[in-house]
Amino acid sequence: MAYTIFKSINVLNPRTNFDEKSNVVIENNKIISISKKINLETLTNQKSVTIYDGNGLTISPGLMDMRVNLGKTENLKLTQKVALENGITSIVILPNQTPKLNNPSIIDHIYKQSENTILPKVNVYGAATKDDAGLEMSELGLMSEMGAVGFTNGNKSIKNSLVMRRLMSYAKMINRPIIQHAEDQDLSGLNQASTTSIRGEMNEGEISTRLGLIGIPSCAEVIMIERDIRLAELTGVHYHVAHVSTREAIDVIRQAKKKGLNITCDTAPPYFLLNENVLLNYDTSFKISPPLRTEDDRMAVIEGIQDGTIDAIASDHRARSKDTKVQPFSAASIGAAGIETLFSLTLELVHKKLINLNKAISLISLNPSKILKIKEPTLELHEDATFIIFDDKFKSTINQKDLMFSPTPFEGRSIKGHILATFIRGNPSHLNNLLRKRVLNEF
Amino acid sequence: MNKIFKNHKSTSSSPVNLLSSHLLAIEGMQKYEIEGLLDRANYFANLDRHSDTKKLSGYVVLNVFFENSTRTRVSFELAARRLGAEVINISLINSSIKKGESLLDTASTLNAMRPDLLIVRHPHSGAPHLFADYLNCSIINAGDGRHEHPTQALLDALTIKRRIGHLEGLKISICGDIANSRVARSNIHLLNIMGAEVRCVAPSTLMPLNLEKLGVKCFYNMEEGIRDADVVMLLRLQNERMSGTENPSEREYFKFFGLDETKLSLANSNAVIMHPGPMNRGVEIASALADDTNRSLIKTQVEMGVAVRMSIIESLIHTKTKSLEK
Repeated sequence: MAYTIFKSINVLNPRTNFDEKSNVVIENNKIISISKKINLETLTNQKSVTIYDGNGLTISPGLMDMRVNLGKTENLKLTQKVALENGITSIVILPNQTPKLNNPSIIDHIYKQSENTILPKVNVYGAATKDDAGLEMSELGLMSEMGAVGFTNGNKSIKNSLVMRRLMSYAKMINRPIIQHAEDQDLSGLNQASTTSIRGEMNEGEISTRLGLIGIPSCAEVIMIERDIRLAELTGVHYHVAHVSTREAIDVIRQAKKKGLNITCDTAPPYFLLNENVLLNYDTSFKISPPLRTEDDRMAVIEGIQDGTIDAIASDHRARSKDTKVQPFSAASIGAAGIETLFSLTLELVHKKLINLNKAISLISLNPSKILKIKEPTLELHEDATFIIFDDKFKSTINQKDLMFSPTPFEGRSIKGHILATFIRGNPSHLNNLLRKRVLNEF
Repeated sequence: MNKIFKNHKSTSSSPVNLLSSHLLAIEGMQKYEIEGLLDRANYFANLDRHSDTKKLSGYVVLNVFFENSTRTRVSFELAARRLGAEVINISLINSSIKKGESLLDTASTLNAMRPDLLIVRHPHSGAPHLFADYLNCSIINAGDGRHEHPTQALLDALTIKRRIGHLEGLKISICGDIANSRVARSNIHLLNIMGAEVRCVAPSTLMPLNLEKLGVKCFYNMEEGIRDADVVMLLRLQNERMSGTENPSEREYFKFFGLDETKLSLANSNAVIMHPGPMNRGVEIASALADDTNRSLIKTQVEMGVAVRMSIIESLIHTKTKSLEK
């Protein structure tokens, strides 16, 4: 029998809203005790016991990142490893990778490739349509049997209204959500028929006018959501909007939720921490989709997080090579890395006293699990010991040189919060030296 | 030529100390920099074409054009040659892209040949900024996408100054395809810095959002927009940057936004006409007006281009040299 004990550690459990100093005992792969008092003597008689001083540290369930662009399937292992080091014990990958995740065998393949008892769990969204034009339904049922947790066209909108209606109807039947990147492609100039000379590059407004870049109007987001909500109402599907970025979109989702529709949404750190003003020197690490919006939109995203309209925060990780980013803005690739900064940037909302710690953790663990009906880790008796240890006061600075993936839109930002360990089913898969130094007594 | 040319003798005979060794945009420039460059350009404009200005002998200027250009390229070339610099013209329209070389690789290859100045025209907004970030020679933006064309704004300003004598307080109407125009953006910033009243006239589909925040009044009716104007600047319809839904037809455009005698009669009786070229006769401007030497400064603009670019090249190299001495 092997025991791991965290003494006097702050225990967070978003499911029960528990937030107290306690002692946590893990036996092999299960949590066997969370209590104020601990009988160390009976335990220390056991053969293998590791006791950590948990003072000033926090233990919480492992995190989930519900929106990860892998790029290529070759990146799978590396992404799992980096996720692990950043407290993420479960990721969901988008289907528009190379190769595309649009059939049951490739989905089965990804699950088999990623299966590893000590690495984060990989979940998969299936491509909603077989073709790039978004006109033919994929084998949603078969992919779902292979474990696809939802269906989406990734970074492209499902544009055709009839196709969307059918997808929603079918997804409802097999009890899976439809995840939408909400953007009217015609309005933002991203329609395949458009020439490059009118392709939207950033939010439309004063800044795009000054820079001479082509604007994507903010209504391109809400127009798509409003249509989808009508179709969701018609079909009864669970509709999830990915990375919402505008005040109008959040207002519309808030109203739809009030009406009792089965609608959820997420956002990503750039949308609650940055606005379009950072683009003034054409820095392509800020070229993301949806584009960075105005300060008012940023405030609306924070309000949406606070009042629960926004259910989850995802990294929207989309790593890009330097070669594709050191380009004129129009020619540069779209997307930024995020998996390594998801935790600390979400914590910024806590440090700014906008939400409490339990709420922050629930946005990146419990809530995404609920949305996708994936069993989440929880800090309760007899549950799997899948959790993270962090220091929410630990100060550092985001530096591209220290990161595995590029580009970060947060270069040079001061952050507070650091993952010291990630345990997966009792296994200390990631253990930082700062935690090793806290061992009180090891047998 | 006319009287004002003679009255406007410049006393400036030295290059300007600029804040940056690049000229990427008018936005952010100081008034004294613009005044200095214009005074120096005016001095060059007044010089006899054959007088010795070859101060930059031994300097190398690369004229790198990623987009078609005749007048701007030739104008820069003449300016550099009159200053005695070596000029190499490089046309890279699609060529490096076709070979798969990245823009930055192309630029650093050129930079490795150690030019003193790189003049860049590129179809993408912000491309010269990228060059300036990664290369160590001075960069002049000769037009980047829809962003800015700073040397055009400076030559326009010199043209107006030499004709009217000043910029401050003038009512200047910029008319046409504002959305796709780098000339418009540079002129808006420059004329605002110099204290002119700037108006923009365009069909709503070619007026970029929130343009008024750049300090201009927006008009969708040309008669209103050019009323009492001292200067009417016309812009070319940039069909190559449009998708077909901006403008119904050229004849409809001419009816509402083309400059003809009737519309011009609403402007100040001495109003002058300008156009950065190339013009579409019968679209932006009635052909006869374009050729009216009393009203149209279009040819003067081209002439002033050389003087302004001499002033800019000289001052940038002067600024760069001074910064290296430190």
